[in-house]
Amino acid sequence: MQITGMLWGRKLLDLVEFPRSDVCGPEASVDEIKEMIQKHKQVFIKPVFKGGVGKKGKSGLIGRADNLTDVLKEKERLYFATHQDGNRLVKSNGVTFEGGVPAEHEVYFSITDNTLYRAPAMTITHHGGVDIEELPADKLAVVPFDPLTGLKAFHVSNALDSLGAPTEIISPLVQNLPKLWDLYNNYGMLMLELNPIRMFNNGKRLIPLACDFKCAFDQDDPAWKRLHLPDDLFTFDDSEFEQEINQLRTYQGQSDVYVINNEGTITAPTFGGGANAMVTELLGEDATISSDFGGNPPYAKMNDISKITFKYWLPQSNVLFIIGGKANNTDIYETFRAIGDGLKWHFQQYGPHPLFVVVGRGGPNLVRGMAYLRDTLDSLGIPYRFFGHDSAMSEVINYARAVNRWMLNGGKDVIKKSMNIQ
Amino acid sequence: MHKEGVADFPYYVGINSLSELASKEDKVVVFNILGKESSAVTPVSHEYSGGNVVFGTGPGKSGKFLPTKKGKIPVYNSIKEGMAAGHEFNTAVVYLPPSGVKDGVAEAVRQNPKLKKVIVLTEKVSVKDSRIMRAICQTNGVDLFGGNCLGVADSWNHVRIGGALGGSHPDESLIKGSVAIFSNSGNFTTTIAVYLATAGWGTTTSVSSGKDVYIHYGPQEFIYALNNDDRSQAAVLYCEPGGYYEQGIESEKPIIACVVGRWKAKLTKSCGHAGSLSGSGDDAVAKENWFKDYFGVKDIYTPQNPVCSKKGALVTNIADIPEALTKVMELNGKKLDFEPRGDLSLKCWFGSNNGVALPKELDIQPVKAIEPYRGQIEALKQQVGAQINRETMKDASGASKMDPKTQVSQIHNVSILDASNQLFEENLVFALTHSYPSASGTAMANAVLNAYVNQHGQPSLAAATASREAGNSPNTVQVAAVSIIGKKKAQKAMDAAEALLDVFKLTDMNDPEKDFDHQSLVKGAAAHKDALLDAAADAGAAKVMDTCQSKGKSVFLDFLSDFAAEHKGHVSMGAVVAAVWATLAWPSLRSKKITKTTLVRLPWYGLIYSTMVGIAAPEDQHGADKFCGVKNDDLLGYSFTRTAFLALMGRDATEGELFEFQVLLGLIITNGPGTISAQGAKGAVSADGPEQPDHVQINKSLIGYLTHTGFAHGGNGYEAAAFLIDQFKDSDLKDPADIKHGVDLEKSAMDYAKWYSNYKKEQKGLGNLEYAKIPCVNHPIFKGKDVNLDPREEYVSKLFKDKGLYNVFLDFYHHLVESLFKAKVTKNVYCVNIDAVIAVILLKMMWSDYRKGAIKEENIEWASFMAFLFGRMIGCAGEIDDHTNRGKNMDTRTPASKCAYVG
Repeated sequence: MQITGMLWGRKLLDLVEFPRSDVCGPEASVDEIKEMIQKHKQVFIKPVFKGGVGKKGKSGLIGRADNLTDVLKEKERLYFATHQDGNRLVKSNGVTFEGGVPAEHEVYFSITDNTLYRAPAMTITHHGGVDIEELPADKLAVVPFDPLTGLKAFHVSNALDSLGAPTEIISPLVQNLPKLWDLYNNYGMLMLELNPIRMFNNGKRLIPLACDFKCAFDQDDPAWKRLHLPDDLFTFDDSEFEQEINQLRTYQGQSDVYVINNEGTITAPTFGGGANAMVTELLGEDATISSDFGGNPPYAKMNDISKITFKYWLPQSNVLFIIGGKANNTDIYETFRAIGDGLKWHFQQYGPHPLFVVVGRGGPNLVRGMAYLRDTLDSLGIPYRFFGHDSAMSEVINYARAVNRWMLNGGKDVIKKSMNIQ
Repeated sequence: MHKEGVADFPYYVGINSLSELASKEDKVVVFNILGKESSAVTPVSHEYSGGNVVFGTGPGKSGKFLPTKKGKIPVYNSIKEGMAAGHEFNTAVVYLPPSGVKDGVAEAVRQNPKLKKVIVLTEKVSVKDSRIMRAICQTNGVDLFGGNCLGVADSWNHVRIGGALGGSHPDESLIKGSVAIFSNSGNFTTTIAVYLATAGWGTTTSVSSGKDVYIHYGPQEFIYALNNDDRSQAAVLYCEPGGYYEQGIESEKPIIACVVGRWKAKLTKSCGHAGSLSGSGDDAVAKENWFKDYFGVKDIYTPQNPVCSKKGALVTNIADIPEALTKVMELNGKKLDFEPRGDLSLKCWFGSNNGVALPKELDIQPVKAIEPYRGQIEALKQQVGAQINRETMKDASGASKMDPKTQVSQIHNVSILDASNQLFEENLVFALTHSYPSASGTAMANAVLNAYVNQHGQPSLAAATASREAGNSPNTVQVAAVSIIGKKKAQKAMDAAEALLDVFKLTDMNDPEKDFDHQSLVKGAAAHKDALLDAAADAGAAKVMDTCQSKGKSVFLDFLSDFAAEHKGHVSMGAVVAAVWATLAWPSLRSKKITKTTLVRLPWYGLIYSTMVGIAAPEDQHGADKFCGVKNDDLLGYSFTRTAFLALMGRDATEGELFEFQVLLGLIITNGPGTISAQGAKGAVSADGPEQPDHVQINKSLIGYLTHTGFAHGGNGYEAAAFLIDQFKDSDLKDPADIKHGVDLEKSAMDYAKWYSNYKKEQKGLGNLEYAKIPCVNHPIFKGKDVNLDPREEYVSKLFKDKGLYNVFLDFYHHLVESLFKAKVTKNVYCVNIDAVIAVILLKMMWSDYRKGAIKEENIEWASFMAFLFGRMIGCAGEIDDHTNRGKNMDTRTPASKCAYVG
């Protein structure tokens, strides 16, 4: 749940009256653009990506122009620009027009919850406008502060002093930066970054104008909903499957999912964050999804999760792999009953599917749960192997992968025949 | 701002030694103690710890209590109220919903100056609340654990505080030893402890830290307390990406670090643990490097590459932890805590191939599980057959369905097109056992089915004859006969089935057609003598038994032979019938496809099958020793398909006819649970009350089916036959199977099409929209294309073509739909539908006799209806059995609110 860029950043900054550059959205008319050129002499054209996207400048994805013809050309170039951000290929939908801010000083500023200090911390430098990772540590000030009292003027002042920042930028920053704590703290943010803040001279004094914006929200904190941001701002990179599962997100029981490989052939409902980390790593590209359904989900929730998961992934799966460690409090009978019933429902709705089921699990009501699932699979004619918690989880994963390989090399047809599937 | 703690941390840390983390001195209060999770977990913790929970809270729940084996834990509205009642505590455990967690922590800190530890179990606590809670606790000198953790446990102190470490039986996992565990994963805290035991290592203190963005009690302070704990000789740290908690760790004692989650580097949002989302410098690889640098190793430890130092080892698979620990401890001169308990090799507890031939390396056989699970699994053997949850089965079926797109129905997931490739008797067995019988199984089924076909001297035949003579339709005649086949008629065989079930249910015998040593069962089954043996010899039973045993192996029949010899009796006819049905159904019972109720009642179904086929032949065909001219003994060796043909046509079938007849019956099996016939059967079951399966009368349920057929449903097949007779009555057609029949089909079809065109116009001109329609052409689904085909008819046509079986009537139908188009009666070429196939098969069989005058049109109508009843009997038997096992009492009723009054 991230926002990058000034299209939405400007609205958030306005909430706390933090100064910012002049920004128009993709709907800007020719007259408005002309007016912007006249006022600022120079206009930056930036593609609008949803979610967290970094290093646009390095990728040539920021246009700069001083006349209408060039602005419109850049608009055309960048409106549907694509950008490879790590493993993700993202596509722009629109541009912003941002008035140029002539300035001598560029400042970097961010707030995050810092795990070294175990407190919120401000990171600041007057050597802004660059990738922060590239700066040596002595040019950065990282200042933790008390979350009960928040970011204060003296934190900013002391930090800039310690960095030897030009004296003329200190006062305007001290006056304005603490406002950002309100934005961070009141709307459930996990990270807020302004880079650069350009110190604009209005003829009388310097004003810190935010020229780019990035923030991330905590999905467990409903405070962001007060911002009334459009729904699609955060759901854009969720697949339909993820969106459907996310609707089941309640505090009783996990329902985290992440699509690993749309072409995967092992679907592994996984229980526990640790199992999620390990199973997904060892299954690699064989996995359709990564999931964590631990935390003792009630029957109804697990049954809904199963039905949705099977609807999306069973048709392409060779192996249904139910895996977790020795559960502490997740009731195996309830979860296996929910999965078994979900599988039966799926077969009733969509017809039988050639499948092999592998289970690795331990925990309360284990044998009862395994027996229920066994009976369900027997009644559906599905071959299976269940392993207890005294088998190494990694060995069980290897077994599931071996079954998958066999299925890919003709085993699927053997099961198909045995299950009377046309 | 924080209170001064025990060491030089930049924040408050109050725990000096791991031995203090969960001790007997700790007194605990539990927030939301009566919540779902807490009320299950807290009693186990309380009992394991010797009673360490002093009270719990729940707003508005004052005066209630949580029962435990260590006494009742009182519940108060608030901490204040609990403390006012005189309770003292130093530890708070929080099970509140996420939005209430911060307030709970604040309440505990405010109300109790003696508070030293807070453990938050709740998942999905917001980061903001987490940082505020931390600040409150830091200011007041309280150690905070979690959220989203499972708390702490100590095997030495026998204390567990917070969540469910070790599950419902903590002693199984928390075995006293020398290794401390710190884990980001609650589940892995326990799983690692279990794994360690397989290498001979037990635990001291186990900490489930949680893996939210904030880990309040982190690895640094854990290692500090480890160094101060004399009991702990080493530690296992399980870490995931995200956060700098492990950076710069140094320990006086060896550490096995397990870092998992390299793949998470590509995540853009958390999946699994909320805090397991890395930035640029705290991903899994970075963490691995921190540990490698500290241990002074260059690689990850694996069994193939056992890289470690005295300081420790880095692993990325939790299964490698025990071995790595042993190796590191050897370098430190430390010995195992105890003899290794078990191992981590693959141990299959449950497995079935369900008929699939697996390659050897995948065909892992189940082994005996560790205790206490072994005992529990053994106890499961007492549960025989499928256990099906009952539900409302109105308009629903677990036996059949129709695909609305293809209009092809299925029974037990087998399409009727495929089922039509199976013999009548095979489908009769399949409908009830959900598995097709083997060749020898089929032969045995034929013997017991044919044994009861001849109804000579039976009241069922008398009833059928009386009904027939009274002018009733075939279904009504069947009703008269079937009503006589009440439960008592099959009771002996059902008692025998019950006895065989009791004798064999706890054995390892899964396939009765394979060798199995039953000798030890012969003596032990003496109590079933009355159910299985007769005092006097029954020649009929002996004959059926001999016939069956000559056809193939049956453990049940072999057992009966030896049982009769041992107990000096004679195998009863009921026992033979039960043994054959048990042979057919046992694999399905073992694989949980059917219930034991079904197995026991199969002989009753079989008896009705035989009766329905038998009384299709008129009374004069039932002699003392012959049926339709075939000797009773010879009949035992007949295919039941052949017997049904014999009963229906009064003559034996050719090989080609037998195949066509089998296809005809197969196509009729079912059209899903919505058909009137199925609804009749299901309603009859529902009315008897399937929740007590013994109450469901199978014969009455089949009567329900029979009464829900009639001249419009089942009897309408004759309409097409009549149409064809009309078309061919003036031709010289002698043999409909002869492709050189000499009839100009093209001309006949066109003549008819032209006539029909004129007729239609004429009738429309008269304003008659109820003009006669041509039967068996067109279909509401398979229409609209230039040339339309009913895929079911297409399938059967191809089947016959492949077998070299020609049918002039079907050929005529294909010409007819072309001609209707050419004559502009239809806008496109209609399909010939599946009902036509049924009609043409039947007419082909009877044409010769009809031509000779041996039979009349009403005989064709009778046979047509009766054939439908044979085929649909298969599907309805499946529905009846399904509803008996799955349905609820009176579940097919329609609520009054959904009924309409149209008077």
